Amino acid sequence: MEEFRYIPKKQLFDCSVSLDGAKKYFVWDGIPEGLPFEEADTLDCSVEFPVDTRVRKISYAPSESVKTKSTVISPKDRELVQVISVRVSPARLSTRTVVNCAPSGKYSVLLCCHTVGQERFSTNEQIEIHVQKDASLDLVVMQNENSLSRHSSDYRIRLEEGSSLSLNIVTIHAGNVSNKIHSLIAGKKAVCNLNGLYLADGQQIVDTDVVLVHNAEETVSRQLFKGILDDNSRSRFEGEVVVSPAGQKTEAYQANNNLLISDSARASSDPHLVIYADEVKCSHGSTAGSVGDEELFYMRSRGISEKEARILQQQAFAGAVLEKVSHPELRDRLSCLVEKRLRGENTLCAGCSRGCC
Amino acid sequence: MENLLEIKNLHARIGDKEILKGINLVIRPGEVHAIMGRNGSGKSTLSAVLAGNSNYTITEGSITYLGQDLLKMSPEERSWAGIFLGFQYPVEIPGVTNVNFMKTAVNEHRKQKGLPPLSAAEYLKMMREKMAYVEMDPSFSSRGVNVGFSGGEKKRNEIFQMAMLSPRLAILDETDSGLDVDALRIVANGVNRLKTADNAFVVITHYQRLLDYIVPDVVHVLYKGKIVKTAGKELAAEVEAHGYEEFE
Repeated sequence: MEEFRYIPKKQLFDCSVSLDGAKKYFVWDGIPEGLPFEEADTLDCSVEFPVDTRVRKISYAPSESVKTKSTVISPKDRELVQVISVRVSPARLSTRTVVNCAPSGKYSVLLCCHTVGQERFSTNEQIEIHVQKDASLDLVVMQNENSLSRHSSDYRIRLEEGSSLSLNIVTIHAGNVSNKIHSLIAGKKAVCNLNGLYLADGQQIVDTDVVLVHNAEETVSRQLFKGILDDNSRSRFEGEVVVSPAGQKTEAYQANNNLLISDSARASSDPHLVIYADEVKCSHGSTAGSVGDEELFYMRSRGISEKEARILQQQAFAGAVLEKVSHPELRDRLSCLVEKRLRGENTLCAGCSRGCC
Repeated sequence: MENLLEIKNLHARIGDKEILKGINLVIRPGEVHAIMGRNGSGKSTLSAVLAGNSNYTITEGSITYLGQDLLKMSPEERSWAGIFLGFQYPVEIPGVTNVNFMKTAVNEHRKQKGLPPLSAAEYLKMMREKMAYVEMDPSFSSRGVNVGFSGGEKKRNEIFQMAMLSPRLAILDETDSGLDVDALRIVANGVNRLKTADNAFVVITHYQRLLDYIVPDVVHVLYKGKIVKTAGKELAAEVEAHGYEEFE
């Protein structure tokens, strides 16, 4: 691993392809280059509401903010910002990133998380996302780290009136990943789409915890989290959608689907809905299954080998999440990356993220 | 001329249930065979066994295809060797587009023949041409395989796939079921266009209807897992007029 220290860090990434027209920034072990690094106020996405005026108050507050300096991303209207976070030294790291979307703009941000080298990296990351009135944010988080890494991300999201967020978390590779998402839909007619795709094999563990609160009228949320689990990998999904008494005419949909491709992979899933308003449309569900034999036989009868047929099925399964990524070039690149991963190429993220995003 | 397919004393079961109880059948290039029979007579089992469906166990007998032991071949090897099964119930594969599905299939066939994969343009040209055989709208290519297709569209898609793979031996399992007269004509025209002196078809059906369009050289009646009668195309009319009772 020693050799990496002698290569200028940037050089390792100069070959990674930039997205067309994207503003590209690097963050080295939590320290950004070219982006503001400052103390930023903690985003308030706590909520408290009475369910019975006489006795009980329900409160949803995320854990206390860690007071550290933050990388501040203030994207410009119709501009794609790509932030590449790279872990180089294996110390424990806590970082904080703030994404602040000014009113009425249309924003796209891509956050990539990488590790360089095969050390045991440990990252605690807090990502705060504020989408202001009538703004829309398309945020893609790409996680591609080594098998020994531990990465825990804590997302705090606040959506104001008329705003919309599409958050897509694509976990290509990692050791032990935890994505905690706390999202507050605070303003009327706001839309929150949370999607995730996780691909795990070996001994990998991927946890997803979602608390999504509808605290305003006519708001919409859609969640789709899908996982493909091989070998001894594990996934856990816990998702809670809360519709407060203020959330009349809410629409909320939540799904977690897991594809188990080995007998020893395990997925646990616990989606739930807590509804305190009476005029809502909500659904939730989860599945865990293996590949369909009928589909497999159909494809093989057309001359598609068993291996190819399985990859096609897995790509199709993953495709339902990837198609939510609206940037076409990014979507194609992610699809390509997922295919490579499913084919067992480029699985180790061996010291470098060359060509992966 | 060399036999394309030779089935000898074939017995097959699913679970504990014996379904095929000694099938004998010889198919030569250029022939169209019709297999008729009631529900449960073993028609679909025979087609599934020919395509290599592992749900069925062969307990006795042999199948020789172009001199090779077919039963030793995987479903994909059978396809590469030129066997095609038109499914009675084509499978829906959500998320896999028709174009991706067939392109993968065609290119795997080419790989087996030592040919390079088709370019996107070459594939598109070939696809458009074959889709026209079954009057299929090109918009179907970007849809998930059979997803949301009507019964007729699914069957047309089967014939389209057949046209793309140009098999030596095509088995059409109740391709006529669920088709209206227009769709039936379109499907039959597709099949007739693909007929050559070199390939052969096995048309499995309940009714004579399809056989008015795809005229068979030989008609077999399957009853309780055995072929009980073999004759020329007039047998189909006889079955249509009198039913299957006389074979009981």
